Amino acid sequence: MSTQTLKTYTFHVSGTHCPSCKIFIEDTLNEQIGIDRTNVDLKRETVSINTTLDENQYKLAEILTEKIKHNGYSLSVEKKDGERKDNEIIWQALPIGLAFLALFFIVQKSGILNFGLGGTVTPVTSFIIGLIASVSSCLAIVGGLVLSLSAKVSQDNVSDTKTFLLFHTGRLVSFAALGGVLGVVGNAIGISFTFTAILGLLASVVMLLLGLNLVGVFAKNKVALPSGIFNFFRSIEHKTFTPLIIGFATFFLPCGFTQSMQISALSSGSFMSGLLIMLAFALGTLPILALLSFGSASFAHGKHAPLFFKSAGVVVIGLGLFALLGGLAGLGIISPLFNI
Amino acid sequence: MNKIPYIIITLALVVGIGIVFFGQSKNNTDTGGSAQNVEIRDGIQYITINARGGYSPKVSTAQADIPTKLILKTNSTYDCSASLVIPSIGFQKILAQTGEEVIDLGIPKAGQPFQGLCSMGMYNFSINFN
Repeated sequence: MSTQTLKTYTFHVSGTHCPSCKIFIEDTLNEQIGIDRTNVDLKRETVSINTTLDENQYKLAEILTEKIKHNGYSLSVEKKDGERKDNEIIWQALPIGLAFLALFFIVQKSGILNFGLGGTVTPVTSFIIGLIASVSSCLAIVGGLVLSLSAKVSQDNVSDTKTFLLFHTGRLVSFAALGGVLGVVGNAIGISFTFTAILGLLASVVMLLLGLNLVGVFAKNKVALPSGIFNFFRSIEHKTFTPLIIGFATFFLPCGFTQSMQISALSSGSFMSGLLIMLAFALGTLPILALLSFGSASFAHGKHAPLFFKSAGVVVIGLGLFALLGGLAGLGIISPLFNI
Repeated sequence: MNKIPYIIITLALVVGIGIVFFGQSKNNTDTGGSAQNVEIRDGIQYITINARGGYSPKVSTAQADIPTKLILKTNSTYDCSASLVIPSIGFQKILAQTGEEVIDLGIPKAGQPFQGLCSMGMYNFSINFN
């Protein structure tokens, strides 16, 4: 016959990275006896509850965290806790990200990707070349871009599956179409070096920005991106045509393999043969790129999401730096710093 | 959480990546080949460099003050080394997948380092004229 006084508490929550987190936390907490009207404010990263329990706020934070911590969320009375946890995750993410980078560069250096494929380029050989290209240094730009955008899209939870399908469709269709065009136009035009180099630099800057954002540098140190740029990203993220355009743009990103395939398409002499060569090449690169985008989506919704985002951020920053320094050297702006 | 093991692993990986990137410059010079890849025929010096998965030899030594031509050999080269950039003479070209590209270097002067690289910048070669 205790008098049940209703109290309202507000906690800081960490680990919320998607709208579905809101529903999950609200449902889970509302199931607890003595708690109802849970409300998650994703923007402020707070959770407010109504409770009839007599525990103090600190004890409640502990009890409730116990219920949702397996999914990567935690509640605290003071905001600090969340940030400290963030700091600890980066120390795990750093070695994981660096290990992937090291593996990637060692594979490049080992030369195992340089086996010969003689003879003329047929759709079959260009498919195989696509497979090789997708694990080669081309991955530094195209793969890095795909990973950073996918992680970002999943983090902001724009309906990611649809976005990725559009991206890959855009890529396949534009490779086929542009390959066909190259086949018709023949040797009359070449794709400008400077143009692809500048596009590559642009891509590496985007990778660096998104990488830093994923790692959380901007959020933590309050080094906010100029809000114009940020809003620009936000607004284009939601448009249907954006992933299509990016898929299209990957045709022009600097990648030795893509360029040699373009030359083959140029010299193939007909629309169909050019189309088939470029389409087969794009199909060859598809498995790894699809793995990168859909893989990040599945990680992003799992319980290791914060670790994944930070590790992906480290990888993307590494690849972005690699591409940026390489691109600047390629333009003759700086002298080459490394030789893989 | 104990950060120290993670910090140690991180440092080890940084050193490892550093070795991958910069370590090669040491054994570059003794990859040999410098002697075989430079020959003088009819008063013209030909420097041959193979392009596939990078350029080899990475460092060549040649004579200055004689007419010089650079020959880049490709053999089923699909990677970045086929898209060659030589900034100092403004040369940019995607080489044929298999074949030889002859580039006229004029009469190089001594002491000017000469460098070529692939368009993405991760492979390069250099020639020392003296």
